[in-house]
Amino acid sequence: MIRKPIPQYVTVLLGMASVMVMLGGYTYLSHRQHQVNPDDKTIPSWSQLKEGVGKSLKESKRTGERWLIVDSKATAIRLFAGLFLGVFGAVALGMLMGCFTPLEAFFYPPMALLAKIPPTAMLAVFFVLFGVEQKMYIAMIAFGVLPTLAQSVYLSVKEVPEELPFKAYTLGASHMEVIWNVLFRFVFPKLIDAVRLQIGPAMVYLIAAEWMVGDEGFGYRIRLQTRIQNMSVVYPYLALLAAFGFSMDFALRKVQGLVCPWYAKGGK
Amino acid sequence: MDERSPVLEAKGVSHWFGDNRVLHDINLKVARGQIVSLVGPSGCGKSTFLRAVVGTHLPNAGDIVVYSGESHATGRRVQGPGRDRGIVYQHYSLFPFLTAQQNVAFGLMLDETSIASRLFMFPKWRRLRKAHLEEAAAFLERVGLGEAINLYPSAMSGGMRQRVAIAQALIMKPEIVLLDEPFGALDEATREDLQKMLLTLYDENCQTLEKKEKPPHTIFIVTHELNEAIYVGDRVIGLSQFWGWEEAGHKAGPGATITYDRKAPVYHPGEERDFEEFAHQRHEIRRIVFDPEAKHAPAKHRTFWEDKPVRQSSRGPA
Repeated sequence: MIRKPIPQYVTVLLGMASVMVMLGGYTYLSHRQHQVNPDDKTIPSWSQLKEGVGKSLKESKRTGERWLIVDSKATAIRLFAGLFLGVFGAVALGMLMGCFTPLEAFFYPPMALLAKIPPTAMLAVFFVLFGVEQKMYIAMIAFGVLPTLAQSVYLSVKEVPEELPFKAYTLGASHMEVIWNVLFRFVFPKLIDAVRLQIGPAMVYLIAAEWMVGDEGFGYRIRLQTRIQNMSVVYPYLALLAAFGFSMDFALRKVQGLVCPWYAKGGK
Repeated sequence: MDERSPVLEAKGVSHWFGDNRVLHDINLKVARGQIVSLVGPSGCGKSTFLRAVVGTHLPNAGDIVVYSGESHATGRRVQGPGRDRGIVYQHYSLFPFLTAQQNVAFGLMLDETSIASRLFMFPKWRRLRKAHLEEAAAFLERVGLGEAINLYPSAMSGGMRQRVAIAQALIMKPEIVLLDEPFGALDEATREDLQKMLLTLYDENCQTLEKKEKPPHTIFIVTHELNEAIYVGDRVIGLSQFWGWEEAGHKAGPGATITYDRKAPVYHPGEERDFEEFAHQRHEIRRIVFDPEAKHAPAKHRTFWEDKPVRQSSRGPA
């Protein structure tokens, strides 16, 4: 039956099975490839992958640094700083657009247009405006997520039933209290959902920029290692990226559940 | 009760949307302690009038005045939603992100503190918050929802939600509580429970009157259910677009006006309803307010202030 509920343990088992199938499939492919070419590096075996991870964690003779640590730190700082600024700007802009019609009329057209331009296509503009230093990456993520996120916040505010602010006014709320205590609280869980959806695009922008002009970070390292077909380093980096994104998403879901239990219980 | 001391007054209220005339020259006084039911055919502008009273959609012509203050002699023209009028909507009657207790305490917080005071005088705010929540819990206990204080609206039944919404409005002690088809989406049994809750409020009015005090609750309820209007209200008002406007010199329908304003039988919680009496008044309202062929002069059936009580319970107002 469509959407028929299943027990929790079945959900867990099916989730584990899907991961096992993926890992099994990879093991099979790698084994086949190594039968054809024992020196293959494109689909590394598990032992090759282990070596790759060791290499990433080994202290560099030249710089004394460990790739994985340096790259993780660089990418994480850029991603968090960019997302923080982008989310902060988007919330402010989206709330203002949703609450005040003159601001809506003024900001909506540029937001709608900017949201349609992929930030990766605007890389050259970011280079010109911000150089190739740290702030370029941060600006790229911030400006990349801002238009879409601001639109999400704006649309969520527009969705608030008019009865709620009206009622708040009859209870003695000021305009600021209606914005903060009613509208923002109503849209907050939806904002978290929107941020969760923006983690992926933000990573795409960052990896693309690091790939092209970076001297550290995940994108930079993946580019270098791909050029020498060193996939035993590339795949662990990709797995780490996935874990990174998943952890952020998981943390945001937990925050949503803790801060907005009403939303998790279906009170949308 | 001094029935002539108004809480709410509509003076020549008219409203239109482009060429669509909705309300025409509505004049109305609601006295303190009354429970007034407003009925009318679909599209007659009941909700438009209620929005005008709430202040969210002001009328194109005329004024709505709310009398407040100790003497109730100070009239304030409605220019927007305000603390002196409580509202209970049919849908979205509660804030979904607050529990029942927090919903009821929400108005106290908004009324007695500001964002700045909550941020910068945190210890004082914490003490106040505790007091607000205790007051809200006691109020919920009074309306029979002591067990539900920690429930979010999504976990409550429709009847519970409306009960909390009424508590949320009443705790603020507004001059008048406006109910916009509050029981429209409820089943019959729940609806009856809530109707009895309104009768309890009316009973409280009667008790305070016996002590020569001012009655605490003035309620204006918009409903499409005639039995409900007659049962819970001590006064029924009919708003209708069907009236003798041609005789009044209009070339086109100028909009709905009040064509019926009469006393309704007064019941107390637990009293059996006299359905025969209901049938008589219901028939009268249907004929005067709902009949599209009606050509009455509007003033003919607006006799509330001159009427003798339809049926006076032992504790009804004088």
